Amino acid sequence: MSDPLMVEVRGLAREYRHGDFPVAALNGVDLAVRRSEIVGVVGPSGSGKSTLLNMIGGIDRPSRGSIVVDGIELGRLDERRLAEYRLKKVGFIFQFYNLIPTLSALENVELPLSLAGMDKRKRIERARSLLERVGLEARLDHTPDQLSGGEQQRVSVARALSNDPAVILGDEPTGDLDSKSAEALMELIVSLRDEQKTTFVLVTHDPIVVARCDRSLSLRDGRVVREIPKGEGSRFADSQRATMDGLY
Amino acid sequence: MSSLSMASRNLRRRKARTILTVSGIVVGVALIMVLLALTEGTATQTNGLIREILPAQVTIVNATTPTGSGAGIRALFSSGYNLNQSTVAEIAGLGGVYAATGQLSSTAYLNGQTVLLAGIDPSSYPLATNGLSIQSGTSLSTAPSDQVVISDTLAGQLSISVGSRVTLGPNSTGGAPYTVVGTFSSSTTFLDRSVYIPLSNAQGIAGEQGKVSEVYVKVVPQENASTVAAEIQDKVAGVRVVTSTNIATAVSSLTGTLTTVFAVIGFVALLAGGFGVANTMIMSVAERTREIGTLKAIGARSSQVLKIFIGEAFLIGVVGGAAGVAIGAATSLLLSSLGGGAGAGGLGRGARLFSGVLAPAITPELVLLSLALGIGVGVVAGIYPAWRASRMDPAEALRHV
Repeated sequence: MSDPLMVEVRGLAREYRHGDFPVAALNGVDLAVRRSEIVGVVGPSGSGKSTLLNMIGGIDRPSRGSIVVDGIELGRLDERRLAEYRLKKVGFIFQFYNLIPTLSALENVELPLSLAGMDKRKRIERARSLLERVGLEARLDHTPDQLSGGEQQRVSVARALSNDPAVILGDEPTGDLDSKSAEALMELIVSLRDEQKTTFVLVTHDPIVVARCDRSLSLRDGRVVREIPKGEGSRFADSQRATMDGLY
Repeated sequence: MSSLSMASRNLRRRKARTILTVSGIVVGVALIMVLLALTEGTATQTNGLIREILPAQVTIVNATTPTGSGAGIRALFSSGYNLNQSTVAEIAGLGGVYAATGQLSSTAYLNGQTVLLAGIDPSSYPLATNGLSIQSGTSLSTAPSDQVVISDTLAGQLSISVGSRVTLGPNSTGGAPYTVVGTFSSSTTFLDRSVYIPLSNAQGIAGEQGKVSEVYVKVVPQENASTVAAEIQDKVAGVRVVTSTNIATAVSSLTGTLTTVFAVIGFVALLAGGFGVANTMIMSVAERTREIGTLKAIGARSSQVLKIFIGEAFLIGVVGGAAGVAIGAATSLLLSSLGGGAGAGGLGRGARLFSGVLAPAITPELVLLSLALGIGVGVVAGIYPAWRASRMDPAEALRHV
């Protein structure tokens, strides 16, 4: 592949203190994601998937190891720079969408642009075009409680895209969606990748997601135990298995 | 999205809670506003009032005149503690005294109505006192006469004008005929029912021949007033000397008590209001933990999160302060109008005198100060919760359900 590396994780470890005992959530993870790749991260609860995602996203710091995203070494950033990194280099998609309930769809997408200091006219224009891209041009002024789960997740995809990030991180992005909405969301993610070369790292339990990932990493006890190529992920999805135990 | 507009939407999201929180500030600000209006009004009103009830720099009364809380004012108008008229000449002869005049105050009936009768010496009265502010007609002539000068308020009430013939005497029926030669403007309720006649006539009506109830003294130069007052007290037997300062002290101790009560209640209410804001904000921060985590995850700096929550506290303060000012102003106006509506009887006059002192004054500075107080309390109460929100760890906050 000739695309440049967008995410490069080396020897990543993260320990939490549980009383007097350190508990390892991640124990030496290596990961390289190229531009326009869609990479899945699977594994049982407690395997360290979310910890890995949070550290790539700059909301948690590693105990050991390094993370380089789009050429930026995260370990060197102070709190302020890290906030700026989150604002400009990553986009988050959450299981429960995490839209700001008091803001309309348009305003939710405007929010990161506003935090980045873009002027009002420009950011409205950009937020509008992003919402059009995710198929919500008719829902601009709706607040989250007036939108379906699938629609809310599309708004959050638009929000994640707003500052044109190096990578979009999804934490169970389809976890709260029915299978139809989940399929539609993955359709959108794949088409964004195809059109804009957007890079995705998606933590998931969902065979629908795994089926559309270029490859997936299986995590267990804080280590990568397997890499699942695209074909294998698709087969599991096709067999409509409710659980993905076979992949771990 | 400005942090203020996000803040205002959050407040509108929980209307009932916001209204309750704001009410705490409203009560505090309103009470403080009334307090400040009263203090402001009292300061300007006291001087004017003292000038009205004490027409001269120094007033001398009988030493046996009762004293005590408020008696300093009332005693000036009670009979039975009079001085010999000779005291006037004695005082006038002292050094530093520019002029002295005697007045006999008592009650009488004018056309059957109770009035406050003041017998004055028309020749020395204008020299020793501030004089009567004649509105129409003339003052009393210096020659013995059956002339009377009455307050414009009384003239209006009894449909009397300059030139009218009235009956004046010690009883409600009968009396001697008098001619109204002038009316004076009674700017305060205190003088509304006052009538002025020559001293000897008043002594006849009151049955107090050769007596005066007060001696008014003018001191030149004015700065010597208290020295001369002390000298009079020292040299003239059986008198008590009252200066404007004495009265001012009595009045301000009266209003001072009220002011303190309002101040304590106001500050306690405002403090409680502040705790209310802090409590609401802490709840709000706790409930929105995941939202705060999201804000930080999508790139909000701690300072931007801080701004959003301080903004909420600020808005609570603005709304509470504005409503508090409105209610405080309305209460102040109500207080002053209550005074104006009281009766003119003996007790009523006391009540009106009192309410004359309680004349709240609302100035632009006062409005701004009260508003600032509300905003200040809101913001200060919001600092800690907002700081907590800004310091939240995003990863932890996002795990919060």
